[in-house]
Amino acid sequence: MYGWIWRHLPGNAWVKALLSLVLALAVVYVLFQYVFPWAEPLLPFNDVTVDNQ
Amino acid sequence: MRVRLVVRTLSELCITVGAVIVLFVVYVLFWTGVKADDVMGEQIDQLQEQWSKGSVEQPKGTGGSQSSASPSAPAPYKKDKPFAIMYIPRLGFTWNKPVLEGTGVGTLKKGLGHYARTAQLGQEGNFSVAGHRRTYGDPFKDFPKLRRGDAVVLTDGTTWFTYRIDKGPYKTVPTDVEVIDPVPRKSGYQRSGRYLTLTTCDPEWGHSHRLIVWAHLDSTQPVEAGKPEALRR
Repeated sequence: MYGWIWRHLPGNAWVKALLSLVLALAVVYVLFQYVFPWAEPLLPFNDVTVDNQ
Repeated sequence: MRVRLVVRTLSELCITVGAVIVLFVVYVLFWTGVKADDVMGEQIDQLQEQWSKGSVEQPKGTGGSQSSASPSAPAPYKKDKPFAIMYIPRLGFTWNKPVLEGTGVGTLKKGLGHYARTAQLGQEGNFSVAGHRRTYGDPFKDFPKLRRGDAVVLTDGTTWFTYRIDKGPYKTVPTDVEVIDPVPRKSGYQRSGRYLTLTTCDPEWGHSHRLIVWAHLDSTQPVEAGKPEALRR
């Protein structure tokens, strides 16, 4: 999987490394900004009320 | 060759899932706190700005009541908006959190939440507030340390309200809506009065139970009179 991505990135090894880093950061950003805020309420830490609103 | 590809892809997937789980833990333990501190600070700034303006011109919003010792019924709180700041010296001398109207998931990310159908601050009835035990700044992390006689101080910009805890922490089940009744039966209060209820979850990271404390309104004073005694060091 990662080998496939590496082979399909353009440029020499340095450019590839830089692009991989950018891609990784983008993934982390999407996770923190969209995926985790969606997933977190599914865990029980949010249930602090007695009427379950 | 085929087998090698399958094994490699599978291991890469496992490593990826592991990394995502670690990131998620970082998000829950650390990042929600960073975000919440930020947002809560913003809410408090917003309130203080509103109040500082209110003291000059007569506002028609939350600060509408006169700054006399006996507060008249304030205007209804706006959903999802902050209207008071809570101080609990037992949870830390610098512990202060904004109180917002409503107990929705989104509201509780920004501060403590006031149960919309319960009494208003300082009014006859039961002013009830919910807050996170863990995550989002851990506002009620030390909830079990609360004891009888502890002060819960709130201000709405015109008046300081000092509540004194009478009972708690009391452990109950999530469906026990009675605890935020105007006169909660298990609190030991007999007649109607000006009460305060705080609720959070128990155990710390779970949701099987709730922890409750009850308090009664001990004293009020206008903000001009300075901080109430409970907040003085």
